[in-house]
Amino acid sequence: MSSIVTSIAPPRLSRRAWLIQMTLVPLVLIGIWEVWAVLANDPRAPAPTRVIESFIDLVAHGGLILATLQSLGRVVSGFAIALVVGVFLGILMGSVRWVRNLLDPIVESFRPIAPMAILPIAILWFGTGTPAALSIVAYAAFFPLLLNTVHGVSQVDRKLVLAASTMGVSRWRILTNVVLPASLPSVLLGSRLAMGVAWTAIIAAELGVGAKSGGGGSGGIGAMMFVFYAYNIDLNAIVVCMIVVGVVALLIDRLFRFAERRLMPWRS
Amino acid sequence: MAIDVTTSAQREVMTAGIAPPERPATLAAVAAPGKANLFRSLVATRTFMALCSFALFVCLWHLVATWVGNRVLLPSPVQVAGALYQLGVEGEIFEHALVSTTRLAISLAVAVALAIPLGFAMGLSDRLNAYLDPFIELLRPISGIAWIPLALFIFGVGDALPVFIMVYVAFFPLLLNTVAGVRSVDRKLLNAARTMGVKPAPMLMHVLVPAALPMVMVGFRLAFAGAWSAIIAAELIGSPNGLGFAIEWYRELLMSPKVYAFILVIGVVGYLCDLLLRALQRVLTPWIEGTELA
Repeated sequence: MSSIVTSIAPPRLSRRAWLIQMTLVPLVLIGIWEVWAVLANDPRAPAPTRVIESFIDLVAHGGLILATLQSLGRVVSGFAIALVVGVFLGILMGSVRWVRNLLDPIVESFRPIAPMAILPIAILWFGTGTPAALSIVAYAAFFPLLLNTVHGVSQVDRKLVLAASTMGVSRWRILTNVVLPASLPSVLLGSRLAMGVAWTAIIAAELGVGAKSGGGGSGGIGAMMFVFYAYNIDLNAIVVCMIVVGVVALLIDRLFRFAERRLMPWRS
Repeated sequence: MAIDVTTSAQREVMTAGIAPPERPATLAAVAAPGKANLFRSLVATRTFMALCSFALFVCLWHLVATWVGNRVLLPSPVQVAGALYQLGVEGEIFEHALVSTTRLAISLAVAVALAIPLGFAMGLSDRLNAYLDPFIELLRPISGIAWIPLALFIFGVGDALPVFIMVYVAFFPLLLNTVAGVRSVDRKLLNAARTMGVKPAPMLMHVLVPAALPMVMVGFRLAFAGAWSAIIAAELIGSPNGLGFAIEWYRELLMSPKVYAFILVIGVVGYLCDLLLRALQRVLTPWIEGTELA
């Protein structure tokens, strides 16, 4: 308790101490996991060394990279659909009051419905292929994009808009030259959050489609995981897929943060 | 750290805090007499517009459903209402909803019991935070959904799987917001309390907990939202009952009106739970009304 009060200026760490801090807990836990796997004496039990072997194996076969790319492709296309619809509607709802009052209740009532709840309908409409997965991604990404765009547009400084219209700037140019740049931070934040949920949604969709169409079918990394669970019973490969899912999520997040810094240098 | 996950908090700012910008008054608005005025004031009220939008939505749905003319692909609102009534009379809806909400409550309780003490410890001790944070950041990008195949193998189909997935999903927002909440406690408050000789236990109960509570509540609402979304996936794939199971079950039987009815129930239950949490937030932290965290 006293440590927080006294530690106003944290002591500077040497590089080595910092490295120890960063890696100690993960390494210890991975060590425990390895020991547990050796003691369990079951060749199917996942162990760090077997996970690495499995990773090399999967990459060498090309299956893992292909599946990841397929999932990423779906995420990007679903995200693009959500971006177009979400930002368009967001600008409309953010700048025209009655549109917002009209659409807000609908948006709010769909928001607690999880993307996965749409899966059965998506399968009914589109079958078990890419379109079903895509629609779920677009649905998931739509809400953060829309809500953040509305938030951004409605927070644009009115004085800027009024100043521009006083000087006789057309409504269209006010939109493109004043409102859009001013709401860009919100839109980008919405994009980052949307991309995060989209990546989660594609895994869920592929898993669900894979589970319900008897494995395979849709492809992608989620379906791959399900095949490893249901048919090959290869836990190491499942862990490899999980790690890949995590790494991709992290990369997406970092990419968007980087874009935020580059596109809006005035923010940081 | 907390900003990353505060969409719903932002959302609150939007609906509750800041009034939407006024459009410049047009000539028509100034000159509108009598009846038009009544219409205008009606349009301005939220409830009226909400009713309008639902009515419009249902009409549109009905029209599209009639045009599609396929009961399996897109049942009409009337058919869905019928299915909802039937499921309600037979009690099936309440059964599945009860199963899902019980799981939700259990997992949120477990997540709170795990994440909040750890969050306080990590918020108070820089050293503990420095050691544990890398591990948490390593685990956090792996979404709860990605754990489903492995968890299916470990726990099998049943209650444990959705509960595990939900605890995992709820853990991170709760933990990170608790840490951020504890760290954002005004140092002056702590120093003042210490100067006056307040002992650690009362300090925790009377200074730290109330000061960190608003952020913890935000974390709790985010945790709920994540868990409610994850339970559908978990139940759909690996559970013999619950709302997520029900939608997929009726999809396989091609009984679409019931699928839509259950989706409706998922939305309503989620919405009601969120209302409950907001009420809880108002009771526990009434002083943050109208701020970013409300």
